[in-house]
Amino acid sequence: MAEPLLELKGVVLASRGAGQSQDYMVLDRASAIFGKGASSVIMGPSGCGKSTLLKVAAGILLPDSGEVLLEGRPLQRLSEARLLEWRRSTGFMFQDAALWANKTIFENLALPLQFHHPSLPAVEVRRRVRASLERGGLEASEDLRPAQLSMGEAKIASFLRAIILEPELLFLDEPTPSIDHAALEKMMAMIREMKQRGCTIISVTHDAHLASMLANDLVVLKQGRVLAAADLATIRRSRDREVMEILSQVLSDAAAYDTDLLDLLGG
Amino acid sequence: MVGSLAGGYAMIGRLGRSFNQAAGELAYASGLLFAVLKESLLFFRRRQVGFRVFILQILFTAVEALPIIAFISLALGALIIVQGNSILPRFGQGKLLYTLLIIVITRELGPLLTAFIIIARSGTAIATELGNMVISHEIEAYVAVGINPIAYLVVPRFLGVTVSVVLLTLYFNFFGLFGSFLLTQFVQRIPFNEYLVNLLAALAPADILSSLVKSVVFGVIISFVAVYQGFRVKVSSTEVPQIAIKAVGQGFVLCILADAVITLIYYL
Repeated sequence: MAEPLLELKGVVLASRGAGQSQDYMVLDRASAIFGKGASSVIMGPSGCGKSTLLKVAAGILLPDSGEVLLEGRPLQRLSEARLLEWRRSTGFMFQDAALWANKTIFENLALPLQFHHPSLPAVEVRRRVRASLERGGLEASEDLRPAQLSMGEAKIASFLRAIILEPELLFLDEPTPSIDHAALEKMMAMIREMKQRGCTIISVTHDAHLASMLANDLVVLKQGRVLAAADLATIRRSRDREVMEILSQVLSDAAAYDTDLLDLLGG
Repeated sequence: MVGSLAGGYAMIGRLGRSFNQAAGELAYASGLLFAVLKESLLFFRRRQVGFRVFILQILFTAVEALPIIAFISLALGALIIVQGNSILPRFGQGKLLYTLLIIVITRELGPLLTAFIIIARSGTAIATELGNMVISHEIEAYVAVGINPIAYLVVPRFLGVTVSVVLLTLYFNFFGLFGSFLLTQFVQRIPFNEYLVNLLAALAPADILSSLVKSVVFGVIISFVAVYQGFRVKVSSTEVPQIAIKAVGQGFVLCILADAVITLIYYL
């Protein structure tokens, strides 16, 4: 396994929905290591806490207990300057796009640049944002608001916003659903390119194609518990029955329980 | 006997849970207020994109509220002048009109009515906007980019609303005291010189100070309550109208309480 970049140690997170009187456990002593330059895929049935795990790893949500370590140092204890530096080198694509509704698509992409590079001339910001929109096929949508886009377009815009700072660590939360074939190809090409240039990618996905392209490591979740977190070869060797069962459920209905899903993951 | 004991335990349990919840909310509100005040102190020192949000907030809260504030202050001022001029001279207290104008417009209703208008317009707008942003994960998106939501979303609104309430209170005073004078000329003629001299004689620096202190306190209350309620939304869009109503209710109550406290201090 690659040198650890990010590590989750015994992360516990409980949540309470509106109108509920009791907390329920979203993450239950979850631990995982994400290697530098490696691509990790988080898998598990719907509602098992994958997106929450990704957000905790990205420092967006704070755990109730447990730690998130960045290169061995607790994320919560980083100085403001170091945290900002880390944020500058990361990108997060949200499952529901989470574009800023009161800003145009152009402004959605421009804000991270303006915030992290305040001295960047407006012309350069415009050039970079337009280049990014062209790569994603959204050049005609720059003056639109997120509500005027389809879900697929919004997700592409969210992806472009996540990579506008050319991050070294990219978090992807279900990047592929709702996106049409042509746009998906463009997104896949960009993800592949980022992987080739050494970007660490941590992705939640049910998409076998994306998983097979990305996965060096696999994290398998069930009801907030991490069942397995290791490289593919290790998981393949272990042949854990529960892990195989979850992978067969997650990846495809067509995949039979006894099929070697890790071969599928391996391409 | 056993049933009544069990009922008693259940009631104590419920009380305990309510107390815990109230203590938790108070702790959260205190923490949020501390963070907002801390970031507010740093706001003008930092080069940040939030400055545009601050300007926009003043535009939405102050500039767009000018017509309604002008209308209410004119109407209130004119009513006091007409009523006062009709009744007070009968008792030989014609000059009390000016004291009455200062007390009602400058010291009491000016800041309070301005606050009520801003609660209804901007308090609800801020609470619903932030609540919707929580649900659509836009707040998380700011955190992911590295933008502190307190510094970028809350502080510009907090400062924008507070500055706007102060400016609008001054505007209310101006229109209430002078605009209404012009309006009453159609009904009852009062020489402007007489009006101005008597008004200035009745106006003390403490009246202006009281008005300004109230407007600052009301601005802080309105913006903080709106922000606090907005961030209380968790998962559902049905929570948004509920917190908007709470933002209005709490805003009104806290402003009236603060008004009473400041007025008491004024007379001590």
